[in-house]
Amino acid sequence: MAEIHVIGQIVGATGFPEHSLFCKWGIHTGGAWKILAGLREGQTQVDNPQNHQAAYFSHPIDIHFATKGLQGWPKIHFQVWHQDSFGRNELYGYGFCHVPTSPGIHNIECPTWRPCGTFREQVSQSFLGGGPQLKNPDMIYSGADRYQLRTIAMGKIHLQLGIILRNFDKYGIEC
Amino acid sequence: MATFKKKKKDRLLTNEEDEDGVSNPIMAGEADSVQEIMPGGGESSAAETVSEDQEAQSLLQTLKKTRKKKKRELDDELISPKDDLARELQSLKKKSKEKVEETFRRESEEEGEGEEEEEVTVPEVADDGTLPMPEEEVAETAKPVEGEEEVSRIKKLRKKKEEVEETPIEPADEVDAATPREATPPPSPPEPETLPEPTPRTTSLRARMRSRLEKAKEEAAQEIREVEKENREERQERLLKGRRDKRGVTRFDTEMDEAELERLVESKQMKLRMKKEQPKKEKPVYMPTTEEAYDFFTRNFEPELVEEPVVEKADTEAEEKKKKEEKKEGEEEEKKEGEEETKEKQEGEEEEKKDGEEETASKKEKKEKPEDEQPLLEPEEDIMFGHVVMCRAEYPDPAEIEKKEMEILYVPSVKLIPNAEKVFDQQQPRFLEEEGFYVGIRPQTSGMNQNKMEHRLLKEAEKGRLSSKKWFGEDGRILALPDPLRGTPSRPPVPEEPEPHLETVFRHATMREYNTRYIDGAIEGGGHYQLDVDINSIIFSHHHLFSREHVLATRLMQLFEQYIIRKKKNMAEYLTEKLKALKNSSLHLRDHIESHRSEHSDADRTNYQKRLTDYKLEIRKTRELRDQEEQADRTLLKNIIHTWKEMKAQRELQKYNNTPLKLQIRKEEVEKKQDLLLWKQEIEDEIEEIKEEYEDEYYRKMHIYSEELEKYNKQQEAKNAARIRQQNKGRRGSKQRRQSTGSGAASDTDQPVSEEQAQLDREILDEEDLPKPEMPEPFEEGELREKITAKAREIRRRPGEPKLHLELTTTGTVTATQQCPRGEQSRREDVSKCKVFVKVLFNNKEVSRTTSKLLSQDFKVNFGQILNLKIVQWPESIKFQIFENSGFSTDLLAELFAGIPEVSVTSQAVQIEDMEFSSDVKIQHNHEGVGSGRPFSFGSKGTDTLILMTTGTLTASVAWGVNDNGVPLVPPIGPGGPYNIFDSMKKMDPVAAIGAAGVMDLQKLAKWFLASRLDPNDPNNADLVYMLRPREGDFGQLLPSDFFRLEQLQEEFDLVPDEEIQNNRRFQLLELRDLEVLDFRNFKMVPPFDRELARDVFVEYDRKKREEQKLKQVEDIESHRAAIARFRQRVREQVMQRFRVLAHQKKLDDVVNEPAVPNVAMIGTSLMRVLERKRPMRPQRKERKKITAQAIKGDEKEVKILVNILRAGDIPIRMALSSRTAGGGGGRPDTERKGKESLVRPFVEVMFQHNTVKTSVADGPNPSFNEELELSFKAPNDDYSPSSLQQVTDIIFLNLYDEMVVNILEDDRERGTSIHQRIEKHWLGSLKIPFSTLYLNGKIDGKFTIDTPPILLGYGHEQTRGELDLIINHDVRTTLSIFMTIEPPLTQPEHVKEKFTSTEHEKLLAHAENWQRNFETKFPQREILTTVIDVNGKSVFVTRYFKPLHPPEEFISKGEQSAELVARYVSLIPFVSDSVIFAGLCDIWSTCAQFLMMLSGDEEEHAVLLANYFLALNKKTWLIIGSAIPEGPTAYVLTEEQDDFWIWNAGTGKHFSVRDSNCPLQVVGCLINSENIWANIQQYEKPAQMSFVLNDSKCWSTLFGRTFPSPGLGSVQPEALYYFSTDKVYVRDLQEKIEQMLKNKIMDWRSRHITRWNRHCTQIIRKLLPILEENLGKPVGPQHLTELEQQFGSYKVSGFPINLPFTELNSIIESVYATGVHAQESREIEFALAVYVHPYPNSILSVWIYVASLIRQR
Repeated sequence: MAEIHVIGQIVGATGFPEHSLFCKWGIHTGGAWKILAGLREGQTQVDNPQNHQAAYFSHPIDIHFATKGLQGWPKIHFQVWHQDSFGRNELYGYGFCHVPTSPGIHNIECPTWRPCGTFREQVSQSFLGGGPQLKNPDMIYSGADRYQLRTIAMGKIHLQLGIILRNFDKYGIEC
Repeated sequence: MATFKKKKKDRLLTNEEDEDGVSNPIMAGEADSVQEIMPGGGESSAAETVSEDQEAQSLLQTLKKTRKKKKRELDDELISPKDDLARELQSLKKKSKEKVEETFRRESEEEGEGEEEEEVTVPEVADDGTLPMPEEEVAETAKPVEGEEEVSRIKKLRKKKEEVEETPIEPADEVDAATPREATPPPSPPEPETLPEPTPRTTSLRARMRSRLEKAKEEAAQEIREVEKENREERQERLLKGRRDKRGVTRFDTEMDEAELERLVESKQMKLRMKKEQPKKEKPVYMPTTEEAYDFFTRNFEPELVEEPVVEKADTEAEEKKKKEEKKEGEEEEKKEGEEETKEKQEGEEEEKKDGEEETASKKEKKEKPEDEQPLLEPEEDIMFGHVVMCRAEYPDPAEIEKKEMEILYVPSVKLIPNAEKVFDQQQPRFLEEEGFYVGIRPQTSGMNQNKMEHRLLKEAEKGRLSSKKWFGEDGRILALPDPLRGTPSRPPVPEEPEPHLETVFRHATMREYNTRYIDGAIEGGGHYQLDVDINSIIFSHHHLFSREHVLATRLMQLFEQYIIRKKKNMAEYLTEKLKALKNSSLHLRDHIESHRSEHSDADRTNYQKRLTDYKLEIRKTRELRDQEEQADRTLLKNIIHTWKEMKAQRELQKYNNTPLKLQIRKEEVEKKQDLLLWKQEIEDEIEEIKEEYEDEYYRKMHIYSEELEKYNKQQEAKNAARIRQQNKGRRGSKQRRQSTGSGAASDTDQPVSEEQAQLDREILDEEDLPKPEMPEPFEEGELREKITAKAREIRRRPGEPKLHLELTTTGTVTATQQCPRGEQSRREDVSKCKVFVKVLFNNKEVSRTTSKLLSQDFKVNFGQILNLKIVQWPESIKFQIFENSGFSTDLLAELFAGIPEVSVTSQAVQIEDMEFSSDVKIQHNHEGVGSGRPFSFGSKGTDTLILMTTGTLTASVAWGVNDNGVPLVPPIGPGGPYNIFDSMKKMDPVAAIGAAGVMDLQKLAKWFLASRLDPNDPNNADLVYMLRPREGDFGQLLPSDFFRLEQLQEEFDLVPDEEIQNNRRFQLLELRDLEVLDFRNFKMVPPFDRELARDVFVEYDRKKREEQKLKQVEDIESHRAAIARFRQRVREQVMQRFRVLAHQKKLDDVVNEPAVPNVAMIGTSLMRVLERKRPMRPQRKERKKITAQAIKGDEKEVKILVNILRAGDIPIRMALSSRTAGGGGGRPDTERKGKESLVRPFVEVMFQHNTVKTSVADGPNPSFNEELELSFKAPNDDYSPSSLQQVTDIIFLNLYDEMVVNILEDDRERGTSIHQRIEKHWLGSLKIPFSTLYLNGKIDGKFTIDTPPILLGYGHEQTRGELDLIINHDVRTTLSIFMTIEPPLTQPEHVKEKFTSTEHEKLLAHAENWQRNFETKFPQREILTTVIDVNGKSVFVTRYFKPLHPPEEFISKGEQSAELVARYVSLIPFVSDSVIFAGLCDIWSTCAQFLMMLSGDEEEHAVLLANYFLALNKKTWLIIGSAIPEGPTAYVLTEEQDDFWIWNAGTGKHFSVRDSNCPLQVVGCLINSENIWANIQQYEKPAQMSFVLNDSKCWSTLFGRTFPSPGLGSVQPEALYYFSTDKVYVRDLQEKIEQMLKNKIMDWRSRHITRWNRHCTQIIRKLLPILEENLGKPVGPQHLTELEQQFGSYKVSGFPINLPFTELNSIIESVYATGVHAQESREIEFALAVYVHPYPNSILSVWIYVASLIRQR
């Protein structure tokens, strides 16, 4: 019965080796959560700034949840993709962050990473593009075994999320 | 000790070099202990001189002090446990030493005493394992006892010195040195000072002491010596053997003469003297520290250097030499040696330091030691000098060292010690663990180490150290804490292999090569898949070039093949054998039964009987089968021979051979007698069998027969009896009657009986006669035998007939071509010319073809080609086309479909299969070839003709290719995402994995699992088995678990139950809004609290839901409509869903509003504008800016519909009826005003969404209003987005009324003073414009014909006025000029320019598109169509929609009228705009069948159907695509009449001449029929101005012309339409239903008044309505109305019929409401309502409603 309304935007991404990025995002929740309104996943446009370090998406996120429990608090997961000059898309990073648990406006930075693959893959990646991707993209936000992945740090995704919480206090949850 | 030793070993090398280096603390400690004994030795010597006793005492004191100090220092230094141990030992030693000293002192004073003490103390010292002293002492003491004291002393000293000097040559030296010294005169000068004279007492004492000591020592060390040392010694001796041998060598190679010796002694003495002086001075004050001691050794003796070096040198030399030798001997020895050396050396050092003062001799010798380090002088010089004595290098005897070591060292054993020994107090070890205590796990130690430790501790314990006992626990083991180590490693090992779910895939950066239509390219394999088509060969079983002989040959071959197969199977033989066996067993059984009859019980007997019958049955069956087989065999044999004969005849006839076939028949002679016997036997058997069977049957039948016969007889008897009785009764009745007069009482008793009897009799007689049973026929053997023999003759080899064996060979010779007649030659030539190839079509596109190969003379073609097809599309079909190429022409022989191979079928594992084909090509040859599909006959007889089609077998296979790595190039199953959906499903759902997705009942599944005996160990079933995991591990009982928990602990932490969230209305509302459910789309302002929600929010929605439910459930009266509605709803939902997705895909324009950047051209135009002439009087129309949906959403803006009503024309005027009634009434104001102008006072009322506005009232039949009316428009849920607006189904009604003022003043007297009037409005006609039309067109402008009712009581048209009271308004139509638009203009939906897939030919499509584009650039206004979208969403060529289709029978026969009838029929099909159904999807053209089925469609469907009907009626018909008012873009039908063209509006059924200026069609874009499309390229587009000469290429441009001829497109329309007559009962029901409902509604509408119904009027009207229908909705003749008129003379009647196609009840109600009939306020008013529903086929219904209001005239 408690409700969360997440209104915000994916502001952009910084720190990636190239521009011309776009970002696929999704919100993952536990079973107790129900989406009342809004899209739970999406994809931004490709931002190709000429002389900026950052790519700006300004992609709106507006999603309204109702929940009957706290487990599986929503988390936003991202896949940053790079579109090269040939129009090919390659993966640039995975990342996820939790939706803040306190009401108000939050500026969130979500660091990203990508699997680095074997040496051979790295070489072929540097020449041909493409790159290793997770076979199982759920791994972005689940699984404690992620530490076994060999990854490279990529840039950050910047989010600005406004959180409206409702009725949590009714159930004795202080946010 | 072991560790200690080791250390020393390590240090070995360094120590060798700096021999005098200050020893490390441990060594110092060691040295201490060593020293301790020395003083003992020294003391004894000191004690000898009483004079010096005191001094010695003092010396001792100081020594003790220093020692103590030293010890303290050491104590400080020692920290480690080892040191502790050492310290402990030291302290022990100290104590013992003190004791020793005391005893000495005591001994010196009082003899004899202290012996006991010594006895105690000495062993103690000796027992100390670490102390090497006792042994040494023993060794030392042994000598003095033997010899003189002094000698022993010197010896001892010398030995000491030697030890100190560490010369390993010692043992030899000792002997050598001892002997010369003994020889020399008694000791050197210093001796008298230091060495007191040995008194006999002391000697004796000493001797005693020593002996005692020795004894004690012996006792103490016995153990060790005995147990260990011996072994060790032995070993060491063995090791040292070599050294001893060497010793022999070294001993004598250095010589020592007397002089040298003397010199040595002298120098020594000198040294001693000097030394003695120095320390004596310093001693009392000076306590040398280690440093000082060091200095002492290193610095102080420079002056003496001169003398020393020689010895040193010699020593060192010797040493070196020795070392070298040792090195040669081996490392181990060296080490040992070194070890000993260092030890010895250290001992020596210590002695030097401390004892130097006391014993001068020793000191003197020791002094040499530090000089070792001094630079050496030339040995020659020394020798020359004379003071130098050459000494051999001295070294201790290894054996001795070993011995000593053995004495010193204690090496603990590694053997296991029995527990009993380790338990001190108790007798038995006590094991706590066994008693049940938790003991903990002991740390792991090696048993050897543990044993060693135990040994040591025990050793200590033996020495009486109680403390060491505490090391052992009660169980006899060393005490230990529990193992502190964790059992599991705290840092788990990281597995080498990556986790499967962490695996990454390397994806190349690729653009999507193929869209979703194709096989997804993103999957591994890159979307490249390969089909391998192997085309092997074709064998013709008939070919048109076959000669007659060929035909026969193939037949023969086929037959022979059959023969071979049959022979191989040999069924006949098999069955015969079986028969035999069966007979035997049945016989056996019978015998058995016979013989054991008495023994069997009843059950057994029946059982046997049953078996017997079974056998019989089986025998019969088998016999039948065998007979069949035999027959088949025989006929086959006959056929083969027959064919062969025919062939031979043919060959004879044509005199040449075409085929190499040859049939050889071998005969196998048989014995006739035997055969005959068998033959007869067989027949007899069979007869016997049948007989037996028949007899059984016969008995059975006889039994039945006898029963039936009995019954029959009984009945007959009864009947006879009854008949007789009745006859009697009749007789008796008359008799009675006769008698009754006489004796009435007599018959009284008889009467009731006979009554009953009579009844019974009647019944009996009435009973049907039973059929007379027939006697079963007895068995007739003769006939049967004949039959069987005949059969046998037919199917079996006759007795004596030889068995035939056939063999077909191809050894015959084919006649050479030259020898053949001409016909055959040409045939063969043709054959050799004939080529065959196969095309492979993939998804109906040719992808490959084989090379064309020549047909061989035996009509076989071998291709042997494997064609690889790389595919990117999903395989839908694989087709082979077999082509034949002879000369120039190429003919398609046959098409064959190959199945798409299974995934598992790869080219490696495929079997070539035969596919038979046949061709219907008819070919005839004029040579010997028999042709195909043509009759031919064999030989000259020409009797039996044959028609053979070309047939054959294609041997081919299709399989998935395999790449170089052996990976099959198979696309994943099913088009889906990048993941194989089945795989993932398999993961999730084990049930799906076995192909039974969606199984819900697990219990049943479990049952099935058991029943189907799946192997639980099969890995394929693992998932399933796991799911049905047995609870008790019993696989026989696989049952599903009752639950499956996805999220653990979720429920426990739930804040609220699920239902609460589900039932929360606010949440529901939010969700529905989000889902854009129609009712809640753009719902504004969802309140924050549930309670604030309006209660009825969901009412409407729920109702709809329920209705939907109802639609699914109930088949009510409108069943067909309901089905359609359902169908439509479904299609609509699908389309909506599709477009909802599309609508969410924004384009750049939707997001970015970018004004065009000014360019040069724009600047130019703007400049021009400046120069333009100002024309204020000619304002130019500006395009109104369209407003997007978002902009409207603000509250201040309101969307309005502007209706500008300009004028009306030809409005009917009030006619005679009113004038007459007026005349009757008299004096009313309207009658007074009655003139030509005021015949009618019309006004227009516009109604939309139940809002009405109206114009002011005008006068006359042709009024001009010029009024602008505003109607507000409200979109559903305020959603003004195009997709929502498209679905607005509201209709704008424009109703034309006549306003009439009625005076209702009752009292005439008041007429002068007051006015009491009522305004009545009379409906004259209406115009309906759907909102969608307005919305899609933006504006509607023009003159429209108003729909007027065919009968309008009381009104008529002007020109005919006066002639008749009731006027037929012939062709005069009331018109209305309006302009209508929406303000602000709304954005119109964009036509989804989606490229629809098409199955049309690409060339055609390209041509059409090109043509269309050309046209559109020229005439953008005119609409043109080439392709349309069909129901499946595919582009279809529009001409395919035209095909003559027969209208229902009842319309055809009507001749002239039929066209109009048909038009009416079509117009009655309800009209629903596509945009309403399929929002956004421009136009979907359904075929006529679909249209009739759905019973709804828009213009084009109506038009197409009408056109097709007209085509069937043999009219020249076209479809016009153009635009009309009010529809906008639409479709009409054009027909060619005698000398005119008619334009038909299929929606209304009306037709106009092309010349008619009132025709609603305004623009003609193109004409279409099944042959072609004509685009209008004339100047004008109005039909009236156009030429309809289609041949004129200046006026009409055609799609298919000379450049691109029509490909002759097939039609998509069905062959014929299916009509069914409408159910009359249903129609009647509906009629009543409508009527009832309308009555109720009217009463509802005028709830303020009483509604009276005039039945009489209703009756009359009801009669009228069918006439109207017959008249096709046209006005009827006056004769029908007169009746009505007459009847209601006294009433003022106003009313009109409404006609509309039946769609649903609501629309009917709406229409009636719109006329406003009910809005009559008068009290006296009465109503009449009649409904008539006329059924047309396919439940198309025409509904007529007549509503009239009657007001009684006064």
